[in-house]
Amino acid sequence: MPPVSQSIRVKVLFFGRLKEIAGRSHESVDLASEADIESLFARYASRYPELQQYRSSLVASCNQEFAPWNTVLHAGDEVAFLPPVSGG
Amino acid sequence: MAAPSTDITSLVHEPIDPASLAAYVRGNGDGAIVIFDGFVRDHSKNRRTLYLEYEAYEPMALAKIQEIAAHLHNQFSIHRVAMVHRLGRLEIGETSVYIAVSAAHRAAAFDACRYAIDTLKRTVPIWKKEYFEDGSVWADGELPPVPSATSAVKPAS
Repeated sequence: MPPVSQSIRVKVLFFGRLKEIAGRSHESVDLASEADIESLFARYASRYPELQQYRSSLVASCNQEFAPWNTVLHAGDEVAFLPPVSGG
Repeated sequence: MAAPSTDITSLVHEPIDPASLAAYVRGNGDGAIVIFDGFVRDHSKNRRTLYLEYEAYEPMALAKIQEIAAHLHNQFSIHRVAMVHRLGRLEIGETSVYIAVSAAHRAAAFDACRYAIDTLKRTVPIWKKEYFEDGSVWADGELPPVPSATSAVKPAS
C-alpha cells in the first residue's frame, strides 16, 4: 500500500490574458490536500502579482464545469482560470 | 445531458461551410430554418480591425455547446440544430460562429436560435483577441454564471 500522501497534484490551465501573464497555458502543481481553488489562485497571484487585479473578473472551472472558489481540490483535478468569455 | 446525435456541434480550425450546415438541418417535416451567422467586423470601438484570433478551452467549450443544443430540444419545438464555432485567426468577413435551427414553425426556430447565440456568448469558454494597426486587445467579455458555493461533498471523480 502506498504511504498516505500529504499533497495532491492537479493540472492548472490558463486562458486569454491570464495565459499571457503566467507565460504558459498549463502546468501541474502539488498542493496541500485540503487546498481549494481560491488558495490555488492565491499561489499564482503571489508568483505573478499582475494576476491579482483580475481575481474579481474571472471565474474558475474544475474538471470542465464552472466551480465556486471554495471548491476543494482532489488529486487529478483539472482546474482552469477563465477570463470573461467573448466567443461569437 | 447529451444533444441528440442528429445535431452537429463542433469547434473547427478551418472555414465554416454555411450551406452544408443549413442543408443538414433542413427536413421534410420542417417549415422554417433560422440561422445566426456571426462574422468578423472591420471595426471595433472606432478602431479599424485587421483580424481576430479566437482561442477556446476546447473540451469544455464543446461540452457547453452540446449542453446548449440539448437544452434547445427540451425547451423549444425544434427539429435539428447545427452549432459550429471557428477558432484561430479569422479575417474580416469570415464566419466565426454559425447556428442553424430547423422547426415545423418559425416561432420556435427564432426563439431557439436567439437563445443559442445569447447563451453561447455568455457561457462558452471561448476568447477573442482583436488586432489593430497599433496593437491588440482581448475583447471585453461576459463572466459566466457559476453555481454558488456549497458545502455539499463533491463526489469522487
